Amino acid sequence: MAREQRIEVTVNGRRYEKTVPVRLSLADFIRDHLDLTGTHLGCEHGVCGACTVMLDGRTARSCLTLAVQADGAEIVTIEGLRSEDGKRHIVQDAFFENFALQCGYCTPGMLMTTIELLQDTPNPSEAEIREALSGNLCRCSGYQAIIKAVQVAAEKMQK
Amino acid sequence: MSDTRFVNQRAVGTSVLPDEAIPLVEGDGRFLNDIKLAGMYHVAFLRSQHAHARILSIDTSKAKTLSGVIKVITGKDILGKVEPFRSMPNRFSGGESVQHWLAVEKVRFCGEAICAVVAEDRATAEDAVELIEVEYDPLPAVTDPREGEKDDAPRVHDTVTNNYLIKREYQRGEPAKAFADAHLVIKRQFRIHRKQALCLEGRGVVAAWREGSFPLTLWISHQLPYVVRHYIALHLGLAENDVRIIAPHTGGGFGQKASIYPEEFLCAHLALTLRRPVKWVEDRFENMVASTHARDQYIEVEVAFDKDGRILALGSDIWVDVGAYSTYLWSAGMEPLQTGGLMPGPYKVPAMRYRTRGVATNKTPVGPYRAVGRPSASASLELVLDEAARKLSIDPAELRMRNLIPMEAMPYRNANNLVHDNVNYVPCLKLASAKAGYEKLRAEQKELLSQGKMRGIGISCFAELTGLGTTTAVGPGTLLQPGRDAVTLRLETTGVLTIAAALPSQGQRIMTAMRQVACDELGIKLEDITSMSNDTSMAPYGFGTFASRTAVFGSGAVIQAAKELRRRILALGAFLLEVPVEQLTIANSEIQTLDRSKSLSLRAMAERSFFTAKGIPDELNKGFEVTSFYDPKHGSFAGGAHIVAVDIDTDTGQVSITRYIAAEDIGTIINPAVVEGQIIGGIAQGVGEALMEELIYDEEGQPRTVTLADYLIPSAIDIPNVELHHASTPSHALGGFKGCGEGSIIGAVGAIACAVVDAMSRRGGDLHEFPATPERVLRGLGVVT
Ligand code: FES
Ligand code: FES
Repeated sequence: MAREQRIEVTVNGRRYEKTVPVRLSLADFIRDHLDLTGTHLGCEHGVCGACTVMLDGRTARSCLTLAVQADGAEIVTIEGLRSEDGKRHIVQDAFFENFALQCGYCTPGMLMTTIELLQDTPNPSEAEIREALSGNLCRCSGYQAIIKAVQVAAEKMQK
Repeated sequence: MSDTRFVNQRAVGTSVLPDEAIPLVEGDGRFLNDIKLAGMYHVAFLRSQHAHARILSIDTSKAKTLSGVIKVITGKDILGKVEPFRSMPNRFSGGESVQHWLAVEKVRFCGEAICAVVAEDRATAEDAVELIEVEYDPLPAVTDPREGEKDDAPRVHDTVTNNYLIKREYQRGEPAKAFADAHLVIKRQFRIHRKQALCLEGRGVVAAWREGSFPLTLWISHQLPYVVRHYIALHLGLAENDVRIIAPHTGGGFGQKASIYPEEFLCAHLALTLRRPVKWVEDRFENMVASTHARDQYIEVEVAFDKDGRILALGSDIWVDVGAYSTYLWSAGMEPLQTGGLMPGPYKVPAMRYRTRGVATNKTPVGPYRAVGRPSASASLELVLDEAARKLSIDPAELRMRNLIPMEAMPYRNANNLVHDNVNYVPCLKLASAKAGYEKLRAEQKELLSQGKMRGIGISCFAELTGLGTTTAVGPGTLLQPGRDAVTLRLETTGVLTIAAALPSQGQRIMTAMRQVACDELGIKLEDITSMSNDTSMAPYGFGTFASRTAVFGSGAVIQAAKELRRRILALGAFLLEVPVEQLTIANSEIQTLDRSKSLSLRAMAERSFFTAKGIPDELNKGFEVTSFYDPKHGSFAGGAHIVAVDIDTDTGQVSITRYIAAEDIGTIINPAVVEGQIIGGIAQGVGEALMEELIYDEEGQPRTVTLADYLIPSAIDIPNVELHHASTPSHALGGFKGCGEGSIIGAVGAIACAVVDAMSRRGGDLHEFPATPERVLRGLGVVT
């Protein structure tokens, strides 16, 4: 098997063509090869959710995905959430304004999971929010402020 | 303080949005692993697979020939070149432990580093690690402190006569007499298992030679930059001013990043010898086995009561499994001494005795983790109080009320020699009870119990000594008195105020807190104040972030420095505006006359003072940069009461929390939303500690919990909604502040443990081993054996 492979991906609206080792994870590709370090690694085991990115519109754990699997895909990372004129995404604003981050290490994954949740369920109950976020670990916040932020974002997005 | 300061509303007490969080929410944070330097090498470690073994040989030849490998080093290679970690002197020390940065001759715990590989990238370094061959001669391992303290136990260290790293006996008052005369004596044994802080980001370091103007620059994921600087210099034979330490964004600390570890120091050594930047980032497996663990106690408690349920005496016997080495800087005394010494918490204890030991074992060293010792100690005492309440037919809340130190009795010196002053213990319990609807909660419980459901209610009252000044050592028994920290205030020529301190934040928003305090003290608009708290090349001396001290020290030092800066600003303002200084104040970033007829912006004044200073008398232009050290001398107790209701699933043993009420006294509150995050975050860790988190070792000393799939921490569905209330009273510290980082985890562990046992006791069950996992709950109920 070839040890390297050429891939073509779009990340945050920009197209990249790169040759990558086949064993390279998508997380390492994004962080080390594209220098987009906003995506974090907390376990590299698919448990903590810190590495969550959007892959063709759905959340994916970039630590468990290989870069070569993303060939042809469209990826959004936390760096791609702001609009072109630099305005924060509603979910980013809601997290900031509701003190939903402390160390901020879990935040990139939390934002992605929240965006997916609100796409699928625009008006989630507290239980639905907790369930949706249960695959994203946060060691700092106790989740309460995060849940509040998701609720505020849901409200704002409906307007 | 002058009385003409405020024209605008106070910033302290409002939930100011933290600018410092913006890069984090926008994906622009710079964590350790995000740092990339030209020509940077990467380090990976070969770690011991044995708990205890003699190293017979190490063959690095294959690893060295792998393409991309720069260097492979063993413990012998650095012997004599760097200074290993010798256990810090502690008044209660037993034997000494010496920790080499890479194991020499013997390994003493699974995960101990043996070799370091430097390569062009991390993957290559890891591949090379796989190629190193080590021949071990396994030795019998010590895996339990009560076995390890025996005379015939194997020795973890060769030069000692036993495995005690710490041992202390303490007595005050007349406990023996109190026990003999008591109406009721309750004696219980508890086992609290090993856990760890589990920062979502592991440790890490980038060490660079001649980067900028310093021979050695270290970016390190750490809570104490100046302390690292001092010890790096000491151990590598450098001068302190050769070293610059920067703590980048840090993904959680909780005490785990407050100790000094071999890996980071070794990387500094490698950067110096290779004259290249090197980077090491801990992966999760390494974090589980090579970053400090916590707790791990056997606790025997004995409490004497009078007939009204008042505590007459407290006795305890404690064994802590402190792991293979005395944690550098703090010594092995953290858990053993604090578990014993701080057990009385907020309760009046007239007589007390304890015997505590820290026993070396062949496990990962135990170090500081949020609230050290107290969650276990407090839960043990609270469980005994509940049992006394049952035996004496006194309501558990009432029994606690009778024992709490009331404000009228303060200042109150307890049997552990600590003085309680200005703490609302009683009002906190009253507030929590009222908000919980305590009587109704009990009535509901009765109703549910009669329907065959298992509902339990737990109460826990706690005390947390915060913001310790120089009169109290943070690490008991050690010589360390981290009780002085400095802040520099600098008015830039743009009129912006910069606050510099070496108090890094891992999410506590200390920079925002200091900005809020400075805003009030100086009348400078919040948006005109910036702060930095993580770089020794810019910040004045300070010990850093730990022990719920940062807001107390940072804010106190800001208040002190602001006084002098304010004086200088007004003096020059008076000269430039040609009005008497008494008629001036500062508001909205302007020097104004009290009648507002004249004003001068701080920017104009600062520009003038620097760029066009001609004509300004020297004594009025001494510079607008003031550094002030603050030492609160004593600490301030924060306190609180938590009330928890839990339901237990009788089939699965699963505990779920149905209500959680917390009332806390954390002194003057700087930023309510930040404080809420600290308290609820602590409660969440307490939920994990009480119900889920456990590091498991087998009999050979092999760790069984080495991934996040084995070691469970709470997710969003495990944490209840916390109803948080405040019953604050100011402390004696400047500004009236107290720390709030750690208290809530103490309350959480005690209250949840009590609630679980309350439910179980209604079915004749009991529990004395924590965390209360489903399996243990079912066993405690006699459902499974
Ligand atoms: S790093 Fe991918 S799930 Fe934890
Ligand atoms: S904010 Fe630190 S892990 Fe979530």
